[in-house]
Amino acid sequence: MVAATATPEPSQTLAPAARTLWRLEGGVGTLVALVPAILVQVLAGGMWALLAWVALALFALFATVLVPEVRWRRWRWEVREHEIDLRHGTWEVIRTLVPMARVQHVTTRRDPFQQALDLATVVVHTAAGANEIPALTVAEAARVRDRIAELARTPDEL
Amino acid sequence: MSSEAEPGVAPRRLHPAGIAVLGVASLKELALPLMVAFVTAVLGAGGGGEPLFRVLAFGAFGALIAVVAGVVRWMTTTWAVSDAVIRYRTGVVSRKETDIPLSRVQAVDTVYGPLQRLFGVRGVHVQSAGGGREGEIRLPAVAPGDVAALRAAVDGRGGVAAAPAPLAEWRLGGRDLLLAALTAGQLGFIVPLLAAVPQLSQEVFGNDIRTAGAEGLRLVPDTTLEWIGAAAALLAVAWIVSIAGAVLTFAGFAVARDEQRLRLRRGLFARREATIPVARVQAVQLVEGVLRQPFGLVALRVEVAGYAAEHAAARTLFPLLRRADADAFLAALLPELAGTAPHVAGARLAPAPRRALRRYVLPPAAAALVLGAIAAVAIPGAGAWPLLVVVPAAAWGAECWRAAGWRLGDGRVQLRFRRMARITVLAPVARLQQHGLRQTVLQRRARLADVTARVGAGTRGHVRHLDAAVAGGIFDALRDPQAVEQRVVGAP
Repeated sequence: MVAATATPEPSQTLAPAARTLWRLEGGVGTLVALVPAILVQVLAGGMWALLAWVALALFALFATVLVPEVRWRRWRWEVREHEIDLRHGTWEVIRTLVPMARVQHVTTRRDPFQQALDLATVVVHTAAGANEIPALTVAEAARVRDRIAELARTPDEL
Repeated sequence: MSSEAEPGVAPRRLHPAGIAVLGVASLKELALPLMVAFVTAVLGAGGGGEPLFRVLAFGAFGALIAVVAGVVRWMTTTWAVSDAVIRYRTGVVSRKETDIPLSRVQAVDTVYGPLQRLFGVRGVHVQSAGGGREGEIRLPAVAPGDVAALRAAVDGRGGVAAAPAPLAEWRLGGRDLLLAALTAGQLGFIVPLLAAVPQLSQEVFGNDIRTAGAEGLRLVPDTTLEWIGAAAALLAVAWIVSIAGAVLTFAGFAVARDEQRLRLRRGLFARREATIPVARVQAVQLVEGVLRQPFGLVALRVEVAGYAAEHAAARTLFPLLRRADADAFLAALLPELAGTAPHVAGARLAPAPRRALRRYVLPPAAAALVLGAIAAVAIPGAGAWPLLVVVPAAAWGAECWRAAGWRLGDGRVQLRFRRMARITVLAPVARLQQHGLRQTVLQRRARLADVTARVGAGTRGHVRHLDAAVAGGIFDALRDPQAVEQRVVGAP
């Protein structure tokens, strides 16, 4: 990020299988988008249908090829003694810093796709909401969760 | 009511007036399903002269539900004070038991709503140090004698029941109340009003859908003037309702500060008291609404740990204040937050750079242009007039740019920005839940970035399009409350 911060950039990446996960989700999205495309083909046909199929093809390209790859390359996270540093995003890069003293609790979450790929999401809860580190391997997610839980064990902060 | 050995309150149910209060509460919880059933049954069956009968039947049915629910809850709710603990038991199927040691009680607040006044009882809200759902007990109807006994018991055990003399107090005068109500501008009411229009039209025009449609179309405004007239009428109604609502909510507003707590009192029909431990205050917002800012008026809101789920009015610290008085107010009532130097309303904040103005103005202007063009084409007889909407959109964008500002100093961060109202968030850096930077690809090329911060559950600051190096500096500074303590980082 050009916004030059003296804070070191986070260095850890997500599991390589994250790309597969996002490709799978993109595939599902494409299947869902198939429905309106078919509708347009059946109802309108001709020029509109052609546009719809082209749009669908572009969507499929982005959702299953481009976005997963770029997103995986951009995702960075790091757990330090006093803070959690996250950085992600393609069009808009978002950098988030959560002080360890503000962490209320930390959990892991796995949806069906993640379970198939041996991945998990670490969710860090503060009073202001939740931040996630998506798609780590199950072992690493457990390790990160335990580390955060240990570091956040400070006296009653709000 | 007092036993021989120590003050206590024997186990008892709520005052019978509680049946009414609990019944009404049950009705409110069932309001949405009842409304749906009501609307579909009354309007859907195509009955001729029957609607009046149906309305009465539903009214009676609703009242019956309220009474039955009230009685059931009343019979299954008991409370007692014994062994230095307040015990509260309720619930029909799943019993809920809450015990609060008297010594941990931090406040015994009373509520007199219209129902309580009718029967001469009080609603009682007991809060303990823990806070949250588990740390409080609400008794909707308690006889005044029992309230006194409860307070005596709490005091006897070292809890805090009565309000000590305040160190500072601010009250909302009658004139300011009216001003606050007039400038409140809460238009959220308009959405359910709009949703009711289709139902109303079907009711008015009878139950035959086709003729209703034809007649309904004649009512839809079809010239620009009628559209404007209809919109203005709708806004006027919504405004009047919001004025009435604001007056009812904020009449008699007063804030008092004693050593550890802020006590807020408000309300006309339903008198509410709220006690906020100062240690739980995380941030203050100065909200300058569109109608208020030209007159130099602000509303103050407070972010309190553990209270985020409550209605917006419950987080109001003071409904209306002159901007010039805001520093004095905070110095008197929240010196922990205000800090040593007056800097909330008085200091000038570091602004967004000049080159960011374009980015504030162009997106809303472009969106307005597109919408205006669509309207110009879609509404017959409108001509090119809808395109004029670009002007206010661009002006709003420019105003957002002017409102952007930040300041770091004295251990506190101030972020100012505009969505509709101009909002200034003031918080100790150590209380931030998280902070961050945002930068789109376009911003990166222009060396701009956004600064974000969150305090508590409901307070967010987002200043857009600051210089990227400056934003990076703010990001680094917010990691380190000590650094912000020692020097002023932002340009004054």
